Amino acid sequence: METHYVSEADFIKLLSWLENRGDLYVASREDDQVSIKPFGEVGEFTYPGVRAYQPLKPLFFSLLEEVAEYPTEEEALREIKPFSILGAASCDIRAIEALDHVFLEGQFKDPFYEERRRKSLIIGFDCTEPLETCFCVIMGNNPYPEKNFDLNLSKIEGGYVVEVGSEKGKEVVEANKEIFKPATENHLSQRDAIRSSVKATVEKQSKEFKPSGAWREILAKAFDDSAWARNVETCVECAACLFICPTCQCFLLYDERAGDRYKRLRMWDACAYKNFAKVAGGANPRPHLVERFRHRYYHKLDYFPKNYGFEACTGCGRCIVACPGKIDMRKVLKEVCKS
Amino acid sequence: MQVVKNIYKPVTADILEVIDETPTIKTFVVRPRQPIGFQAGEFMEVTVPGVGEAPFTPSSSPNVKETIDFTIMKVGRVTEAIHRMRKGDTVGVRGPLGKGYPLDAWKGKEICIVGGGVGGAPLRALFLALTERLDDFKKILYCYGARTPKDIVYKKQIMEEWPKIDPKKVEIRLTVDEGDETWKGNVGVVTTVVRDLGLDLASSVAVVCGPPIMMKFATFKLLELGYPESSIYLSMEKNMSCGVGKCGHCMLGEYMVCQDGPVLTYDLIKDKPGIWD
Repeated sequence: METHYVSEADFIKLLSWLENRGDLYVASREDDQVSIKPFGEVGEFTYPGVRAYQPLKPLFFSLLEEVAEYPTEEEALREIKPFSILGAASCDIRAIEALDHVFLEGQFKDPFYEERRRKSLIIGFDCTEPLETCFCVIMGNNPYPEKNFDLNLSKIEGGYVVEVGSEKGKEVVEANKEIFKPATENHLSQRDAIRSSVKATVEKQSKEFKPSGAWREILAKAFDDSAWARNVETCVECAACLFICPTCQCFLLYDERAGDRYKRLRMWDACAYKNFAKVAGGANPRPHLVERFRHRYYHKLDYFPKNYGFEACTGCGRCIVACPGKIDMRKVLKEVCKS
Repeated sequence: MQVVKNIYKPVTADILEVIDETPTIKTFVVRPRQPIGFQAGEFMEVTVPGVGEAPFTPSSSPNVKETIDFTIMKVGRVTEAIHRMRKGDTVGVRGPLGKGYPLDAWKGKEICIVGGGVGGAPLRALFLALTERLDDFKKILYCYGARTPKDIVYKKQIMEEWPKIDPKKVEIRLTVDEGDETWKGNVGVVTTVVRDLGLDLASSVAVVCGPPIMMKFATFKLLELGYPESSIYLSMEKNMSCGVGKCGHCMLGEYMVCQDGPVLTYDLIKDKPGIWD
């Protein structure tokens, strides 16, 4: 992939170009926390260093939105403005890859997700300050994006190494030729040194959680493991782990009257809820909390890889931070691995 | 502007007729305002305006193009609302969705159909699709059980018309869990008539649709009779909400029942958690 160098001073020009392109969201660091905000609210870009506390999925898949109105003739779907995300961590880019499979593959494409993906420009960045809860490296990922971005930034002395990952990314470079300078050997070796050192940090803190083999193979033998029941004890069924998860995409459709018509709404839903899979006739495949708790792990690490070839856990660690019951996915899996 | 198909939007359909099948089951004959074709076993989401959607497999022949029958038991919020609807009312229809019965792959085979209760709905669509091209199949055995004689769906067809289609090739076996003074046939659960099939199992397939407990025991009976797991086709009832493989409600192991099914062979799903629930 082609790489360039952009100095910090020139990068400001790129920011104003991105603002003119459409909506611009930036991962912005405030005190110890990084969050995704409209650029207008922040006014500047500081290298985030680590993933934002919230996932990127709401930018592609709204918490609540209208998906149809009826009865009406077939109408054109609403178009949205182009938008850019500046500051997508490697784990979040992997999450978008997972969502792409679900929403865009198969016989039916989700038109709302597709429109947002078409209009989005994703600018990733290398992690430089991983959190204690980060474990991407045991989920087949690295703390720096390697694919599925449009552009990626690696912070080095005085500027950024910018890697181009797509045609869309190439167009940004073409439109801003004057600021994209050749990346030198020195630039690249600085980048690579930072990458190795950050990766080593995440590997070190993940060492005790490293699986003994492929997750699928481990889970194939772990369905009846007592670790599920032991670990679900502090679960309060709040589903925070699912709503904060960058790859969870389950939703509920419901209808409402709207004047002389009706509208269909789509809202995030969570498989932790008791009636999630229940049918009208009364049958419920997962009536017990432990079954729903386990389902989440199997979906991420067994079912999803069977369907799409990679884990739907990105190792972002948000579920660990969000859980009021202090359930740590890494520790649950470690117990499962042990037995 | 390019018009993109909205996969969540229903097509309006007019209710032409409402037929009382049993005290809790009605058949709604609807005419969609845009043509919707389907194959036997594929399902559709039916919308009661303002109330919501629920998944149903049509019960009419896929060869009938103008209208679609939905045979619906009153069990939940949406079905209660549908049961209040009358001729002239409108519903929404979204589909067809999922994978139905692979009729072409069954050419030259003997088909054993085992159904119970409102599970007779998709099976009628299948039975009609099979018998309307009967030259393609060697034999069709239709075993159906209901709780009482009053609970038999499509009673007139199933008792009077179907046995006359071609007595050499088409056999109908009925049973009820509890008989009454009018009932002269078999009494017992449906598995009691799934025996002495007179079929060559090596070139036969079995199809099961009904309440979960009935599906479970019918499947075990078919296995006991010697059907290979991959020759038993089950119509899985899961919470198919979006119907397009996105919302996650109907997962059975790694399968999205709404897209990978609802018809799945037993070998694929026998070890999946919650298969019969």
